[in-house]
Amino acid sequence: MRDTFVKTLLEEARRDPNIILITGDLGYGVLDEFAKELPGQFLNSGVNEQAMMGLAAGYASTGKRVFVYSIGNFPTLRCLEQIRNDVCLMNNPVVVVSVGAGYAYGSQGYTHHALEDIAVLRALPNMEVIVPADPLETLELTRFIVSNKKPTYFRLGKSNEPIIHTTAPKIALGAINEISEGSQGTLLFAGSVGTVALAAEKELASKGVSVSVASVPFVSSIDVQYLTKALKKGPVIVIEEHSYRGGLGSAVLEAVNAAELQGSIGLVAADQNNLSQIGDQNFLRNTNGINIEMIVKKFIALQEAQK
Amino acid sequence: MPQSKAPYSDAAELALAARHEIISMTSVAKASHVASALSVIDVLSVLYTGSANISVSNMDNPDRDIVILSKGHSASALYSVLALQGFFSKDWLAQYCSNDAPLGGHVTSKGVPGVELSTGSLGHGLPYGLGIAMSRKKHGAKGRVFVVMSDGECDEGTTWESAMIANHHNLDNLVVIVDRNKIQSLTFTEDTLKLEPFADKWTAFGWQTETVDGHNYSILAKSLASQKGPKCIIADTTKGKGVDFMENSVLWHYKSPSSDDVTKAFDQLSENY
Repeated sequence: MRDTFVKTLLEEARRDPNIILITGDLGYGVLDEFAKELPGQFLNSGVNEQAMMGLAAGYASTGKRVFVYSIGNFPTLRCLEQIRNDVCLMNNPVVVVSVGAGYAYGSQGYTHHALEDIAVLRALPNMEVIVPADPLETLELTRFIVSNKKPTYFRLGKSNEPIIHTTAPKIALGAINEISEGSQGTLLFAGSVGTVALAAEKELASKGVSVSVASVPFVSSIDVQYLTKALKKGPVIVIEEHSYRGGLGSAVLEAVNAAELQGSIGLVAADQNNLSQIGDQNFLRNTNGINIEMIVKKFIALQEAQK
Repeated sequence: MPQSKAPYSDAAELALAARHEIISMTSVAKASHVASALSVIDVLSVLYTGSANISVSNMDNPDRDIVILSKGHSASALYSVLALQGFFSKDWLAQYCSNDAPLGGHVTSKGVPGVELSTGSLGHGLPYGLGIAMSRKKHGAKGRVFVVMSDGECDEGTTWESAMIANHHNLDNLVVIVDRNKIQSLTFTEDTLKLEPFADKWTAFGWQTETVDGHNYSILAKSLASQKGPKCIIADTTKGKGVDFMENSVLWHYKSPSSDDVTKAFDQLSENY
């Protein structure tokens, strides 16, 4: 995802000299081409996320489209008040780009796990939170963000995420991208964890249960019409590589509550019972309850309860 | 109160008129930070009478100068200056901090002509100004950026992060003016977290540094007139300057002037200026 993002941004930046890329001294081997080709549109600020984010906001106030790139918690939690006051309050169109969503940096430890970022940034006014599912969505969403001039949080995975869309998804603000259609319920997800959702769909199909699977990239702008239809069809399970507290699951529950919808919703998200546990992304997803068995168990339980 | 001469071209006259406004508005609003405003008002008055290329008529010029008041609790000082220079109606000052009024107790930019950045949490103005200066330097726009900070604010890490970045990129269009009144929220700066040797710190970070009398209009104007690389002007000031019972007192960081205090303060301004 990060390579697709940088490649797409470079293409856009060649056409639009107002696009600026700032990094907090991260992106070894990833940002080199951009930095070499467009040095006037690139800045390595150094290891100083708070000053960097204030700088980015001031830079954006001069009419530039500023992208700030770093790992997980660094361009988000470390400089939260700069995002709140200098970006959101001032409505400066800075795009905060994080790499390493969820457990992508699994073996690097909890400091590198991004598990509370959606909750925290989603709470900010004027902030659009966008989470791509695969490289195809990353490409289309990067183009969308360039044209959608407002404060944005773009939460990327890392590298080598499989393509799960069969065709390039049509991007519109708030639109949910359905990957497969079923008749008895829905699995909603945000991010590269979509592969787990698709594997769960297969498992459910083997038990004779047909569900839709859909990516929800616009976490802070939920499509209520889609939700309404989904809840009429059957249970909805929301799957994310993030804490239970405040992520996509919470966003969906808030939307359901605001629209006074009826239906069954289950959440599959990170337990965070052992913060210091080391392991790769798949291992940590599994041990934290983000797995096929959990999705299937929760779906069947809700389905039984509806009978 | 002195008669309005808006727009003012003389910093001393602007500062005196603004001192009256600051004392009135913090009294009527029962607001804090009158002494912080009185300590920085001379710096702002110099900036807004020609040292910074900024006026009501050039606000849409992308090459004009930018002034950011990072010590947002001195809002009454900036608002007074802007109103007196015609950026918005002086009527707004009378409604300071009241319900649904345009002007609040910390600097707000929303709907307030002349204000570049909403501030109030310390340590935000310098990185923001740094971003504007960086953009201008990288993309060939003219105009300097002046960031007015408090000395207590220099406890914030973003100050020194920004100092490094500005030096590394030789931002010769960025000026920091520190209102060195030597008092912060709870007590004196040197009893809280030592800043001294303060000028040496800025110099060591690669900034052209000058320490000047922060209440002397001509000296301030001279220091603001030129720079080599990023420049830090340490404006040696007295908190509460101009009203003896407010001067050098931690109490007046918070206390709001009573109507008796206002009368006494105005008498002193007549005597002192």
